[in-house]
Order: sequence, then structure tokens, then C-alpha cells
Amino acid sequence: MDLQLILFILLSAVAIISALGVVFSKNPVSSVLCLIVTFIAIAGHYILLNAQFLAVVHIIVYTGAIMVLFLFVIMLMNLNADIEPQKRNWMKYAGVISGGVMFLVLLAAVRDANMPALSTTSTDIGLIENLGKTLFTTYVVPFEISSILFLSAMVGAVIIGKKD
Amino acid sequence: MNALITTALLGVVLMFTGLFVKNKQQIKYIAILGALLAFVANIVDLQTISGGGSKVLFGMLEVSHFSILFNAIAIGATLLYFILCGSAFEKVGEHVADYFALIFFILAGITMTGAFSNLLILFISIEILSIPQYILAGADKQNLKSNEASLKYFLMGSFSTGILLMGIALIYGATGTFNVTEMALGTGELNPMALIGITLLGFALSFKVSAAPFHFWTPDVYDGSPTVFTAFMATVVKAAGFIAFLRLFHVTFNGGNMSSHWQLVLAIITAATLIIGNFTAVFQISVKRMLAYSSIAQAGFMLFGVISLNQLAVQGIMLYAIAYSVGTIGIFAILLKMKDYTFDGFNGLAKKQPFVACVATIFLMSLAGIPLTAGFFAKYLVLSAAIQQGNLLWLVIIAVLCAAVSAYYYFRVIIAMYFKQGDANVENVTPGFKVALFVTAAIVIILGIFPGLLLQLI
Repeated sequence: MDLQLILFILLSAVAIISALGVVFSKNPVSSVLCLIVTFIAIAGHYILLNAQFLAVVHIIVYTGAIMVLFLFVIMLMNLNADIEPQKRNWMKYAGVISGGVMFLVLLAAVRDANMPALSTTSTDIGLIENLGKTLFTTYVVPFEISSILFLSAMVGAVIIGKKD
Repeated sequence: MNALITTALLGVVLMFTGLFVKNKQQIKYIAILGALLAFVANIVDLQTISGGGSKVLFGMLEVSHFSILFNAIAIGATLLYFILCGSAFEKVGEHVADYFALIFFILAGITMTGAFSNLLILFISIEILSIPQYILAGADKQNLKSNEASLKYFLMGSFSTGILLMGIALIYGATGTFNVTEMALGTGELNPMALIGITLLGFALSFKVSAAPFHFWTPDVYDGSPTVFTAFMATVVKAAGFIAFLRLFHVTFNGGNMSSHWQLVLAIITAATLIIGNFTAVFQISVKRMLAYSSIAQAGFMLFGVISLNQLAVQGIMLYAIAYSVGTIGIFAILLKMKDYTFDGFNGLAKKQPFVACVATIFLMSLAGIPLTAGFFAKYLVLSAAIQQGNLLWLVIIAVLCAAVSAYYYFRVIIAMYFKQGDANVENVTPGFKVALFVTAAIVIILGIFPGLLLQLI
């Protein structure tokens, strides 16, 4: 068994166990902490796939910024089990059944799928230099057009946030 | 491509107009001029086409007669919308110029839905036309229903965006490209991962066009949003969603025996949309909510264009887009001037305002699909496309039955206007408004008699 496989199994186990922890823990704060562990484990997967830049961004943005935001929101809202809205039982069952069916279908598909897009030959494909080159040559148009998206989101934030 | 650049720039211009122009009527006139400019700029693009269509901007967009015609329909419908409903913007809130700017940004997203040739552009265009809508839905900040509509739309829309991205990622994983024509999903054996990707993309787009069972957000959002913005969301934006749907499924997921994998799923979605939309609309008390359900029902008819997979379907969906958008914008323009949105609120309108009642009747008949209106030929074309396709006859029968049901709730408004006693009235009907209504009704009638005028352009 080579090192890569051992690392992969280890990271996957950590990711799955902590993801289950997110769902099953009663306390929202420990849910968020579990989510952080999941994100770090997934960042490890990115490194195994030669996507170093993505891994770094994933840790900075998700584990850093967004999770801190999550924790702040939870602290400010002062959530606890007493004020949690009661969910009906049939809703839980419906959720479990539809989620399980989706899981089965995805599992069946991935089992006999082949993935031509994955290239393991070059090790520097995920470095920031290559990413930047692609972003500013092949994908420069979507990159520029997304500025309209951000501009409209900013206009919206001002409209909603401003006092009348 | 001109249309994309002009609408995006006009959005920025309108944003700054709010700073310099204090008179709200003037802002409306600037927006109307802007829409006219975008319309002309879009037509100028016709010169750049050679043959079937030409790829521009690193092959990300494909400018063709199809995309230019749809852009013309979308921008033209927006122009009508500005003229008919523009004065109602100032009743919603203070930031009139910003609302116009957001609508131009939505238009920028719409111009890409008929022209994308890369899945990334599809994703960005769907997002550009969604995010300003979340804001417009919540523009009436003091109204709790408007807040609810905005939040609900935002949360549900974000989930469906996630599903869309997941679908795109799976298709990329299976094919190694984002380009819709290079994918060549039809040749060889289909990768199961691509199949799931197609299914997820179909679900996400069904959400955006509010097809059942992904329609639950529609009545609440359309009912809660300020009426003037509902008129835009339910018409132009919804038609754009269908154009994206059509282009993706006709161009990319159509080769070989691909369509056999998704056609039945979409046919079931269509049947559910038709039945749920039409039968729920029957039980509504408020005309605004009835129009929300009717937009679900009309979505069922437009889905025929997606599943039929022939040239007739493309023509049908174009005519449907214009017939449905223009008719619904007209009805909403009249509804905006009413005090009472219930069916009873229309009682006796024909006595007070015979002209307004007459054009309202024309719009409602077009929506119900009565002959001599554009709605009839639109329904006729999409249904005959399905018959030509062959194995969808059961669906056509359901559709015809549902069209008969839809006549019931559209005619309830007409009966209220003509045959019931009441003192319904429309406020400040200016001569200009009457002229605009007349032009809108004329479009519906002319396209109902000579649909070839539009169809020969594709």
C-alpha cells in the first residue's frame, strides 16, 4: 500500500465521520466545528489531486472566513435546543428517503464511470500560475462578465441595507 | 453580443442617473430610451452573422438568428413593460433608478441565455438574471410579505444554483470540456456520470422556470413581491429560462439516442406542471395569485418546446415567449392600477372603463389560447411540434384538457368585468397609457392573425 492510498483513506474517513458529526450533533457550535474538520479533510483531498491553490483557497475562505461568520451568527442568535423548531416526523422520513435515493443513484453512477478529465501526469497543473493563465486567456470572458453579477449584487446590498 | 454590452453599460448609466436626476418621471424616460438603444444595438448584430451563427468572444457566445430574435423579443417586451408599468416603480420605494439599473442587469443576463456555447456562461447568465430578482422581490422593505418573498426566493434559488453547479461539474468530469458543442455527449456509450449531470441540470432549470414539482416558491414569491416587479419576473425572465433550457437540451443533450434518457422525465414534469398549475389556479380568490399559478400552467406548455426536439418547437417557443410575455405584461399593467386585486375587484369594470376592459379581455383570451390571438398560434405550434415528434400524444391530450380548464379562470375575470354589478375603477388612466395598451393589444392580435411575420425570422 503506497503512501497516497493511506493518506486518501485517512482523509476520507476523517471527512465522512466529521460530516456525520455535523448532522447528528445537538449543539450548533460543535456542528460548526465538525464542519471545519470536514473542510480541512477535503482540502487534503485537493492536494492529493494536484490542486494546491484550490486547497489553500478552500482553507482560507471556507475554514477561515465563512466558518468564523457562522460562529458569530450562532453566538449572536443564541441558539439552543429549546427554541429549535419542531420538525414533523413524516418530513424527516421524506428527507431521509429522498436523500438516500439520491445517494444510491450517485453511488451507482460513480461506480462504473470513467473520468477522462482527471490528469495525474503533471504535478504543477493546480499551481496559481497555470490557473491565472487559464483564467486570463481561455476563460477571460466569463471572468469579466461575472463583474456584472457582482455589481448587481452590490447595488442590491445597498438598496436593501440603506435606511429609507 | 452588442445587446450584452449595451444592457450592461445601461445598467451602470441608470445607476448613476439616480445621483443626478431627481425627477422620477425623467428616470423612466431615460430607461425607455435606453431600452430602445439596446433594441437597435441588438438588431445591428445581424450584420456579424455568417451562415448559421458566428462564435464571438473566444467561442464563449454564439450569435445566431435564434439568439438575436430572442434578444429582440426580450428587450422589446421590457420596453413595453417600462412604458406600461414604469410609473409604478416610484410607489415601491425611493431607489427608482436602482430598480431600473437592476432590470438592465437582468437583461444583460437574458441576452446570454440564447447565445451561450459554454456551460460557464450558462451558469453566469442564470445567476445574473436571478440575483437582481431576489432584490426586486424584497424592494418593498416595509411589507412583511415582500420580505418573505425575497428570503424564500433567495434560499430556494441558492439551492437550485448549487444543483446546477453540481450538474455542470459532473458533466465536466465525464467529458472534460465546458463547451456545449464539443461535448458530443451523443456519440458512443453514455457515461453514467454525465447522465446524472444532465438530470441535475434539468432539475435546476425546471426550478428556474417553476415547473412542478419545483414550483412551490412561485405563488408565494409572485404574490408577495411588489406587483410591478412580479410583472417582469413572471414574463421576460421566465421566457429566458425556457430559452436556456431549450438551447441546452437541443444542442447538447440531443445527439444519438441521448434524448431517450431524459425525454420521459421531462414529459412527466410537463404533465405535472400542467395539471397542478391549472387546477390550483381555479381555486384562487386573488387575481394576482391566479396569475402566479397561470404562469406555472403556461410553463407547462412552454416545456413542450423543450421536449419536442424539432424546428417547429423552436418556432413555437419563440412565439409563446412573445405571446405570453406581452399578454401577461398587459394584464399586470391594468392590475397595477386597480385598488382591489380579488376577482370581485373587477366587477363592473366594463361600464366605467370600456376600453381598458376590452384590452384586458384580449390579453386574457390570448393567455387562454382563443383563436385570432397570439396565444392560440403559440399553443398550436408547441402542441403540433409534440405531435410531429411522435410518441407524446398522451401528453398532448392532457395539455388540451388543461387548456380547457384554464379558460375557466381566465373567463372569470372577463365575466366579472362585463356581467357583474360593481364599482371597480382604474386610477389615473392617461391617454398615453391607453395608446400603449392599444399597441400591446395590437401586437397580440396581429401575431394571432399573421404569426408568419415572426416565424420567418428564425
